[in-house]
Amino acid sequence: MIADEPSLSRLMALSQRGDRQAYRALLSECQGWLERYFRRRVAPAQLDDLVQEVLMALHAKRATWDPGRPFLPWLAAIARYRWVDHLRRLYRGEEDELADHDAAEDSEEDAVLARMSLERLFVHLPGKQVQAIELVKIEGLSITEASHRCGQSESAVKVNIHRGLKRLAALVEKAE
Amino acid sequence: MTMNRLPNPLIDALADDLAPVRPMTARAGLAWVAAALAATLVAVELLHGLWHGAFAGEADPLFWIANGLLLLLGAASAASAVRMAGPRVGNRHEAPRWALAAVAVLPLAALATVLSDAGAGSPLHDPYGVKCALASLAAAGLTAVVLVAWLRRGAPVSLAAAGFHTGLAAGALGSVAYGLSCPIDEAAHLGIWHVLPVFVAGLAGRWLVPPLVRW
Repeated sequence: MIADEPSLSRLMALSQRGDRQAYRALLSECQGWLERYFRRRVAPAQLDDLVQEVLMALHAKRATWDPGRPFLPWLAAIARYRWVDHLRRLYRGEEDELADHDAAEDSEEDAVLARMSLERLFVHLPGKQVQAIELVKIEGLSITEASHRCGQSESAVKVNIHRGLKRLAALVEKAE
Repeated sequence: MTMNRLPNPLIDALADDLAPVRPMTARAGLAWVAAALAATLVAVELLHGLWHGAFAGEADPLFWIANGLLLLLGAASAASAVRMAGPRVGNRHEAPRWALAAVAVLPLAALATVLSDAGAGSPLHDPYGVKCALASLAAAGLTAVVLVAWLRRGAPVSLAAAGFHTGLAAGALGSVAYGLSCPIDEAAHLGIWHVLPVFVAGLAGRWLVPPLVRW
């Protein structure tokens, strides 16, 4: 079962007061939520690391959630921030193909998730920037390979990644 | 609520490490900013003395309009910076932009005044101008420290905007605090030398604050 917003808010409020049982339940639900949230935009090999990173950020910054406000938009902002950070780090490893399913479609909270999804951020970027980021930062291709695949020059790929990530960083809290 | 997943040692470790925390509410952050402004006003009174004549009706209305607009910009920017400590998808931070546009009318008014008055000297030769600008920047210090400390405790995710709004808030509130001690209530002086430090502080915040509050 996927926890809803009121349940998560209640668990978080209890966690801020030091309730460890509530906190375990909250973190477990957040783990599942984050796995679904990141699935299409993170290579499977990096998914666990990124989810754990966000859980640690949630722990370190748990006082910044205001009990008077919804929980999921707060978690999504932290998740986006860490995701952009993650994309900035150069990496290239043994990459699997990304799973071909949509995180926002298998949840009961489609509407809320859609507003906060990572896909929603890419809408604000030019297509060439999205393509360069997807090929190099998500699929793990080298600049040269990405250049051959998408037809952009190597310099253009680098510039588009740089500008795209800068733009993404400025859009973390954007909902529309 | 069920948990159909494998045990995660990280979750156990984080749960074991859990200690109660006091939520960072916007009200608490704004109280800190208000305290910083009050302390700055006390320091200005002690070091320069506030212009008590202004409170006895001696000031031109423009004195109150200029300081009122700066206060509005400071409040809007401070509220925005404080809220940025608690991130949220859907947060909007547009109030400082409109308040800044309103304040930007002041230098334009100063320019129009100077250009339309053939007898007026250049506002750049104002003997008190640089002193007022530097004193306003100095008066911005405490608010800047308080906001940066608040953001460092928090989880800002829009670092450039957080830095810019921190600078604007500190600069505008510093300009108001020092401005209440300055008896020069002419459009050219207020519009240039009391507004310039706001823009300088905003740009300084934009570049200096993000590395300090990155997490």
